[in-house]
Amino acid sequence: MIKDLNNICDGKFFKTIFDLYAKDLKRFLYFKTQDMDLAEDILQDSFVKLWENCNKVDQTKAKSYLFTVAKNMFLNIKKHEKVVRNHQKLHVAKSNKETPEFILLEQEFLVKIEKAISDLPEKQRTVFLMNRIEKKKYREIAEMLDISVKTVEKRMHFALKAMKEKIGNV
Amino acid sequence: MESNKTHKDKEVYLAQWLDGKISDETLKEYVSEEDFLIYKKMQSGLLIMEELEKPLASSFNAVQQKIQQQKRTKFRRQTYRWSISIAASLVLFFGLYSSINVQSTTIETFFAHQKEIVLLDGSEVIMNSNSEISYQEREWNLKRDVNLKGEAFFKVKKGSSFTVLTDQGTVTVLGTKFNVNASDDFFEVICYEGKVKVNINKEDYFLTPNQAIRRINGNTIERWDSKSISPTWINGESSFKSVPLKYVIKALEKQYNLKFITTKIDDSLIFTGSFSHKNIEIALASVFKTMNISYSKKDKSVYELNHDK
Repeated sequence: MIKDLNNICDGKFFKTIFDLYAKDLKRFLYFKTQDMDLAEDILQDSFVKLWENCNKVDQTKAKSYLFTVAKNMFLNIKKHEKVVRNHQKLHVAKSNKETPEFILLEQEFLVKIEKAISDLPEKQRTVFLMNRIEKKKYREIAEMLDISVKTVEKRMHFALKAMKEKIGNV
Repeated sequence: MESNKTHKDKEVYLAQWLDGKISDETLKEYVSEEDFLIYKKMQSGLLIMEELEKPLASSFNAVQQKIQQQKRTKFRRQTYRWSISIAASLVLFFGLYSSINVQSTTIETFFAHQKEIVLLDGSEVIMNSNSEISYQEREWNLKRDVNLKGEAFFKVKKGSSFTVLTDQGTVTVLGTKFNVNASDDFFEVICYEGKVKVNINKEDYFLTPNQAIRRINGNTIERWDSKSISPTWINGESSFKSVPLKYVIKALEKQYNLKFITTKIDDSLIFTGSFSHKNIEIALASVFKTMNISYSKKDKSVYELNHDK
């Protein structure tokens, strides 16, 4: 059998597709659902579905296939929720399981934040990303960059301040 | 208050606030109300961004696991089909064999399967899942006796008396359509056409069309009228009328090959309704959602039931 390297059924290529689109898909799903766990579930199921149909989906269509499947799954869940809600009209809406920090946020706001981060001066951006994305403590960052904790804190402080100016009134 | 002074360092308070070292209240002292709100919203936005930027290796592992699981069930389903065809040929083989010998013919159905069979006289039997019938072919011309475990729907050709024997009672007819459900301690007969005689504990009961009789767990015998013209399970649905939840759960287990942990619920609640044989999610939802019972998957086919709070 001749193995097509760009066949989705090929495990390696499937992983490549995952790495290419998973983040975007999760983001897309988060803003649809406003629920991180649900977004994660649909994300996983969409890729499972892609794998199941790997023979039928052309590799150039993989992305649109994933997003379509994900969107339909989301719509079905919404539809189901509606039915359940109608059934349980008497039930008081359950308190949101999300932490209060996960309040409803529009995608545009996130784009603004990201833009603001990329506009930061390089030194501030490095510290900021190490802290927020890589989850390093100020002390660890200080050690790694061979600067004082105070300097790290200052850079974070000004980074936040600059971002606030960029984002302006919400 | 001493420590507050170090925080008052004008150039680090935002860093310390984001790090959780100083509170929202303290931050309010440093910045205007308006700015405070922006910082709060930025904080939420950052949390979401961080969450979305997390590496997705664990998600990929989860995807692979799900794929593996499905492969396994698919494989099982295939082997299952195999075993069915082997079983079917065995039944056929022994069927031929027993027509020469005095052996009883046994026909079984497994989980989520129904079988339609035609008896020697042209009577039809539709067996629901996980049921078993057996009869003596040799003596068929003398007496039409069928042993039943589980549930089946009978369309009996007119002729000599036709008897369905179960552990809990016998049903005798001449020519008619009726359904018998004899699973564990549940015994139910519904007559759809003709006339049926049901014998429970040496007592005779006669059913005319649309009448039904039931005895649960050795309790008193109930009689009622059934409105349908054939059992709903034939059309891929199981219906229940004021049946203790326990038996509905058993039926679900039988249909879908599941196991339910019922220790936390009251399974004597009465259920009226039906569930589909085609979609497990819909089936579970239609039984448990209406009873305000939540179900959570514990294992591949094990669910735990709980009352909704």
